[in-house]
Amino acid sequence: MIRWIWFFAGILAVAAAAQESPFQFNGFVDTYHAVQTEWPHDLMSSRTRLRTEMRVDYDNAYLFASLNAMHNSVLEDRTGVQLQEAYFNYQNDVVEIRAGRQIVVWGVADGLRVTDLISPVDYTEFMSSDYDDLRMAVDGFRVKYPGERVNAEIVYVPAPRYFQMPLEEENPWRPDMPENAILDFPDGPDTRFKNGDFGTRLSFFLSNVDFSVSALHAHNQSPVTVAGYDFEKDSIVIYGIHEPMTMIGGDMSMPLGEFVIRAEVAEYFSDALGYANSLDYARKNTFNALGGVDWYAGDNWTLMVQYLHKYIADYSHELAAEKNSSEMTFRISKELLNNTLKLSLYGMFDIDNLAYYGRASGDYALTDQVTLSAGYDHFGGKRGQLAKYKKNREIWAKAKYYF
Amino acid sequence: MNKKMLKKAAVLVMAFAAMVAAENLTGRDVVQKVHDRPDGDTRSSELSMTLVNKAGSKRERKITSFAMDVGKDTKQIMFFRYPNDVKGTGFLTVDYDDINKDDDKWLYLPAMKKTRRISGKSSKTDYFMGSDFTYDDVGQRNIDEDTHTLVREEKVDGVDCWVIESVPKKGDEIFSKKISWIRKDCLIAAKVEYYDKLGKLHRFLKVEKVVQVDGFWAIGLMTMENVQTNHKTILEFSDLKFNIPLDAKTFTVPRLERGL
Repeated sequence: MIRWIWFFAGILAVAAAAQESPFQFNGFVDTYHAVQTEWPHDLMSSRTRLRTEMRVDYDNAYLFASLNAMHNSVLEDRTGVQLQEAYFNYQNDVVEIRAGRQIVVWGVADGLRVTDLISPVDYTEFMSSDYDDLRMAVDGFRVKYPGERVNAEIVYVPAPRYFQMPLEEENPWRPDMPENAILDFPDGPDTRFKNGDFGTRLSFFLSNVDFSVSALHAHNQSPVTVAGYDFEKDSIVIYGIHEPMTMIGGDMSMPLGEFVIRAEVAEYFSDALGYANSLDYARKNTFNALGGVDWYAGDNWTLMVQYLHKYIADYSHELAAEKNSSEMTFRISKELLNNTLKLSLYGMFDIDNLAYYGRASGDYALTDQVTLSAGYDHFGGKRGQLAKYKKNREIWAKAKYYF
Repeated sequence: MNKKMLKKAAVLVMAFAAMVAAENLTGRDVVQKVHDRPDGDTRSSELSMTLVNKAGSKRERKITSFAMDVGKDTKQIMFFRYPNDVKGTGFLTVDYDDINKDDDKWLYLPAMKKTRRISGKSSKTDYFMGSDFTYDDVGQRNIDEDTHTLVREEKVDGVDCWVIESVPKKGDEIFSKKISWIRKDCLIAAKVEYYDKLGKLHRFLKVEKVVQVDGFWAIGLMTMENVQTNHKTILEFSDLKFNIPLDAKTFTVPRLERGL
């Protein structure tokens, strides 16, 4: 414990010294704890983290790095220091180059993924992290033309990463799996040129509308699970399958009075889809479309709603997914007390399984540096993973100190 | 002799014409003068915003702002430097002079690594960053969104002012009227009173410091107080620069994402 205190004190001393130097150094310390509301009232999450961010500028270039030093008392494997991002950035009037570990975000959707398929998501603790922690950085290169109205970019990721799933036995967010099964979920494909993700996006920012077109060769980052048997180990094996796929899509965002209309569409070619019996999978073309409306209602009220639809072409009844499947999300927030208090309600509906997840939360800025948050997560419904998380209904509290 | 008489008569006629013109000055004319006050084609400044609540506790925001006029429209880009939870956040706006056209607005959130297109209409009446200034107050409110009446002329702290009453033409504003004391010497408000929908005084703006930089008049320090909640915001401008070399590429989404 004393070692931790000295470590934090050292970091803060460096931060104070950095205020006077050309280096930028900042970050935060946060602590998040969640308790199951049902018996036996287990700890669902309990972690304390130091995030440091450093940036060094030189003319048109800079180096940026962010590190997480975390202590997780529920998932002990997660305790340690992790490199969040580390990249070199150079820009001039006609080109911007970024090389290294970076988070790439495409599209206009809020939390749902249609064209935003480069940086995977860390679902180790479901959705209990901040959004920038849920998104995982990838090691890659990005070259961008930053025009006045047009923005063109090319991305190459030689070593893609897949979703991180809650697979540890002690993880309360682990889905139901056969007992003593061996789990074989790769972190990413072998590093070969042909296994890399590469994509391009052309974006337009106009007075009445923003829109983009994009194309990407990648992998299904969310694994398709297939069960097998290992005779040598005499055990069931659950494999996480990731196959190459191609996405062609686009997005748009259009203000209309107090509203902003958002949309994303994408065709996935050779999208890997699991069978209902979990013994095999198929690769099909799927059409994915998202529509959303943001309402800036004034008086610090914001309302957002999104609808996502997936259609599987050349459908086979052996597939676990329906031919047409859909989900919805909404978010309502209101800021009070000169924006020091923010009350939010977030909901996610799995329409096909009639299941849902809801989060009610409040964030209070105690000072410019300290924010206190608390909330309640509710799960329910008939079928699907969200319904199975009923036992994980939880209350949580969080404190965050920025330096 | 006749020439001298003629010259005197001409001066008298001109003075009389000026007096008539001054008497005929309308509220809109004064507001137009304020709007047309020379401020260069481009400008930049450092803003320090101190929020003080009823109990006296303070919060601070620091912003760097750049602006450029394009015809009658204005482009503005702001980067938040402090506090650290909003550091790196960028806000890009295009204020259109056309009353029938909503402003264009983009917000870059560094934690999300994403630029959001946001509504150019509703946020005008919301308060800016938890302060007592609305987005309208810190941007450029279109002259013809209000009906302006020249009420009287009077001195404020020894400076001659026009007193203008402005009433919004639409009912969806947060104020029912505002009364502005416009300094004749520099065409900047000395103080402004904002009244709520019930006609009660809601907010009070006091401009405490006016500066002249490179021949351009500008506000150096002002305080907006919500007299109903006793919350106030002190806004200080420093490092004011005018007619600096800025081009259209400063006011783009890529620049917003790149930061300062």
